[in-house]
Amino acid sequence: MRYTGMVSRAALAAALLLAGTGMAAADDHLLVQRIAAGTGPVLDPDAGLWQQATPLTVALQAQMIATPVNAEPAVSALTVRAVHDGLWLTFQLRWDDPTKSDTIDLDRFGDQAAVELPVKAYDANNPPNPMMGDADQPVTIMQWRAALQRDQEQGEPKLPDIYPNAHIDFYTGDLLKPEEARAYTGAVGLGNPVSRVGKSPVLDQMAAGFGSLTVKPQQRAGAKGVWADGHWTVVIARPMKTDGEFDPKLAPGDGSVAAFAVWEGGKDETGSRKAWSDWVPLSLEK
Amino acid sequence: MPKVFNWQIGRDMDYLYEGARPKKQFGMVMDLNKCIACQTCTIACKTTWTSGRGQEYQFWNNVESKPYGYYPLGWDVRILEKLGVQPIDAGPYQGKTIFEAAPEGERVLGYRPEDMDYTSPNIGEDDSTGGIINEGGAYLQMPHMQWMFYLPRICNHCTYPACLGACPRQSVYKRPEDGIVLIDQERCRGYRECVKGCPYKKPFFNALNRTSEKCVGCYPAVEAGQQTRCTIGCIGKIRLQGFINTPDQAREDNPLDYIVHIAKVARPLFPQLGLEPNVYYIPPMHVPSWFLKQMFGATVDQAVNVYRRAAEDKKLLGALMLFGATKEISHHYKVDGDTVTGYTEQGDEIIRVPMHEPIFTRAVFDEKLQAYRSNIT
Ligand code: SF4
Ligand code: SF4
Repeated sequence: MRYTGMVSRAALAAALLLAGTGMAAADDHLLVQRIAAGTGPVLDPDAGLWQQATPLTVALQAQMIATPVNAEPAVSALTVRAVHDGLWLTFQLRWDDPTKSDTIDLDRFGDQAAVELPVKAYDANNPPNPMMGDADQPVTIMQWRAALQRDQEQGEPKLPDIYPNAHIDFYTGDLLKPEEARAYTGAVGLGNPVSRVGKSPVLDQMAAGFGSLTVKPQQRAGAKGVWADGHWTVVIARPMKTDGEFDPKLAPGDGSVAAFAVWEGGKDETGSRKAWSDWVPLSLEK
Repeated sequence: MPKVFNWQIGRDMDYLYEGARPKKQFGMVMDLNKCIACQTCTIACKTTWTSGRGQEYQFWNNVESKPYGYYPLGWDVRILEKLGVQPIDAGPYQGKTIFEAAPEGERVLGYRPEDMDYTSPNIGEDDSTGGIINEGGAYLQMPHMQWMFYLPRICNHCTYPACLGACPRQSVYKRPEDGIVLIDQERCRGYRECVKGCPYKKPFFNALNRTSEKCVGCYPAVEAGQQTRCTIGCIGKIRLQGFINTPDQAREDNPLDYIVHIAKVARPLFPQLGLEPNVYYIPPMHVPSWFLKQMFGATVDQAVNVYRRAAEDKKLLGALMLFGATKEISHHYKVDGDTVTGYTEQGDEIIRVPMHEPIFTRAVFDEKLQAYRSNIT
């Protein structure tokens, strides 16, 4: 079956027009501050050095181009800070969220946040589509998930985490050798990145248009989120230059753009039901 | 939105993708007059496919009582209520399908059940209609004042699946070789749009794997020429699984085509929703026609009448004799004299079934034991 009719051409053109404007406004600019060489990724959301980084308020709008949509997403702005040490680029995202949503069952969705960067060297005259990139200009999307963060801290989810009184005698798979049991484990056995407990709560992904989001074979990103007093503070880091086909290559002094997205799990936001930003210009301090 | 032709509603309709019918279409016929709700099918499916973590409350095959049983709770009345009253007269359907009734910004009209809705599979089991006391006391009459029936359900492997249309990631796909609809477990991100979109509520969310899972049409068996587990395990022999063509391509020697298109004795469930589901039901004869019409379409009475006179149509009777007769899929069949024969796709004989079972009558009085027999045939 052919992929068609999902994205209205007019809507897409409008979005591209939007993307082309407002790039130059000086106060919409994110300065990626240089920190001491050798600091590495700053994976502590509350680290003191974030105090020195200049904050930028980034406005978020409802994703309205590809169905299904949530026309009134819960989060309308987030505060972004960014630093680099010459080798690692780290973003700190902070937004208000009255509920911490990190447990998933049929009724509950997890909180998520993402940072998007162009893969190719940024050309202001020919910017990639901020809405998931396009075939000529793919993007990298680092998506942090509260549920994966929970897995890191508390181990893989078990039935009693969701249904405290549930009792199971045994699962068929428990009686088999791991290779044989694989058939009973579905997405976990196939290594689906949203199912398995990975090394990090962030998925390092690429996209080249709607519906193409794919987890990269080499996971380079790191992240950590902390929820306290009605807001999330999440740091997401990646090396500035790696050789993966869909990895951005950045150096001190470069200018580029970044875009952001937030999903408020407590409001059933997931997939295309999300709040996202336009490209935000950024410059990496020399 | 692209237009596709849906023969069950007799007209073109909006769908999210261009129509592309598979080379062959998985299909099943279930005779609702024969189901005894033994749940052997449910257990056959459960032990084969859903004994893993996070699948505790998943029943890819379930059997519910109608009109008061549901799994998940209220699945049919809730989508019918959302869709609103629609005209379902004979002839092309004039109402809206769930694709045409999709609200702004949504891909299909749907709703996501709550976790609790799955916790009592078939709550209301065996409840029949009507009261006994309040209606002035029940007494024996024909037809019965009260009625109920059992409705076994699997995924319909729809021609225009709402699960597939609802997924923004294209993680759901329909196999071109047999029309079986699957969710790619590597691609699925657990958005639950398919759970929300399927009106039959046959994709299930696995909260531990965080992906949606659904009936796989026993595809490894089907690939090997065998019918699904729920079909071959069926105690009541109410099921026949095979492949079905569109009515214009109907082949008289395909048992499913004969039952559905030629004899027209079986009907899809809620055809007005627009998915062209491929499980076909022989409607229960004792249920009032007003109830059956909503479930199986305006002309359901004709199906009941054909069924009542099934004995007059030898070919129909022959096709019905194949139910529960063999593990293999009968792609072709032939009625010859008093025997029906089922064949593989290549034309090899699989099974021969006598149309009449031989009857032996014994004497009422057993001379040797000097006793009367209560059962003599
Ligand atoms: S096994 Fe057959 S008779 Fe028993 S509940 Fe299932 S469909 Fe009905
Ligand atoms: S019954 Fe539901 S899950 Fe099955 S193919 Fe149709 S829409 Fe998809």
